[in-house]
Amino acid sequence: MHHWNWLIVIYLFLGGLGAGAYLASFAAEKRWLGRNSHLARIGYYLAAPIVAFGTLLLVFDLGQGLHKPWLLIRLIFNFGSVMTWGVYILAAFIVVGLLKAFFVFKKKQAPQVITLAGAVLALATGAYTGLLIAVIEAVPFWNTLVMPILFVVSALSTGLSLTTLVAHFMEKEGSANPLEGKVHLALVAAELLIVAIFFGMMALGFKGPVGAKSASLVMFGSYAIVFWGYFIALGLLLPLVVFGREYLLAKQSAPKVATEGASTGKETAIAAEAEHSSYLVLATDLSILIGGFALRALIIFTALPIWDGKLL
Amino acid sequence: MNSSKKVLLTRRSVLKAGAVAAFALAVGITPTVVKADTAQDAPKNPLQKGFIYDQSKCINCKMCVNACKEVNQWEEGTVWRRVLAGGKDGKHYLSYSCNHCEDPACASVCPVLAYKKRDEDGIVIHNPDVCVGCKYCMFACPYHVPQFSPATGRINKCHFCYERQDKGEKPACVSACPTRALNFGLLSDIRKTSGATAQLEGMPNPELTKPSWVLIPKA
Repeated sequence: MHHWNWLIVIYLFLGGLGAGAYLASFAAEKRWLGRNSHLARIGYYLAAPIVAFGTLLLVFDLGQGLHKPWLLIRLIFNFGSVMTWGVYILAAFIVVGLLKAFFVFKKKQAPQVITLAGAVLALATGAYTGLLIAVIEAVPFWNTLVMPILFVVSALSTGLSLTTLVAHFMEKEGSANPLEGKVHLALVAAELLIVAIFFGMMALGFKGPVGAKSASLVMFGSYAIVFWGYFIALGLLLPLVVFGREYLLAKQSAPKVATEGASTGKETAIAAEAEHSSYLVLATDLSILIGGFALRALIIFTALPIWDGKLL
Repeated sequence: MNSSKKVLLTRRSVLKAGAVAAFALAVGITPTVVKADTAQDAPKNPLQKGFIYDQSKCINCKMCVNACKEVNQWEEGTVWRRVLAGGKDGKHYLSYSCNHCEDPACASVCPVLAYKKRDEDGIVIHNPDVCVGCKYCMFACPYHVPQFSPATGRINKCHFCYERQDKGEKPACVSACPTRALNFGLLSDIRKTSGATAQLEGMPNPELTKPSWVLIPKA
């Protein structure tokens, strides 16, 4: 019984992706991803257009999107509806994101307030995509605070991946940095932990028998291949192994930096940098995007209603 | 500058973050305990009206459904009232439409305020002329009441024949019922009927939306 189709899945995915791309460049600008990062601009360019495109898809999914589009202004009316919050958040994020991208394009320093507002709105956009479904009590599988948390972490991860991918081919300034790998490792590990706890508790019936049924539909039912193959293996385990290996290699060479002096240290740094822009890393980023999309599809399509409409 | 001091991620910080995340998740996922005894509670609005359905009187003739369809001109693809059959013998029925809930989930999630709950009788009316067809209410309603018409691109649902009621007439379904299995009245009155409940086995907990319906199950 799913009333929402692929357009909504793509919309939820793109909302998180655009928000995550903004935050990837925001982190790079703040030097949280190392000095001279090649991610400092690309994410800002990607963010608003991606979210705007996703929003456009949503309009097509509305029954009146093409019939009576003027009715859509009413979407801002109900301050108690999470969907209304989303309209405000998305609209604000698209505007602020475009402003920030304009400053970056003009190579001017954007006012701090714009950059920061964009970051806050990006987090809000990511959280909104999860909160939209988390407040639906009649769908136990959705109805936990895990949804916004999971969607934000997935947004950060997919956003970082897309920005890395596009930067590799388009960005001439800056360079790949092993810190990106570490941050991404942390994100993927956190997501895996959240997913494990979420499915564990759902399967144990913490949200009743319907929640457990949804979980088993995902893990052992008709969606098992999408779950284990696309989401868990491609989206989480492969990145965990690739970024984890990179992290361990960097760690092994770290003592050398301290003992063997500057020249070797520099070589190791260059090696690590090369490591983090290898085709394996790019392939991993692509597989993270696939996993992130699979997650949205799984969550939307396996949502069983609290009552199946049958009389016992 | 010593580069080893710039490590953002230590094993300890990861473990700490993990523990905090696990705790937050555990709190977030804990279900709320609900009690299922609304049938006896006094309604918030003393003027709230509701349907009362006596399962042992129903003969599954579907006159209620046909009358509703005829009077309300259902838009293509929508069903306002239906009769379910179940039980071990397949001869337990349930005729139901909108429950005009005390806490209507449809109305609280609707972004365009298409739903109105009337003060004078608690009827929940959906205005299809302002509906944008987002289908959010279809997920929110535990009873699958809001119906989407692909032909018109908007939601339709039972409005308790409020226009007939305003003229002092009965809802079409109630008028059509030959056995008096389906009736309506002031919720505070009909809840006093002996054997009354607000939930059948396997159906949503009435604490979710506080439906304004009274059911008298067949033994």
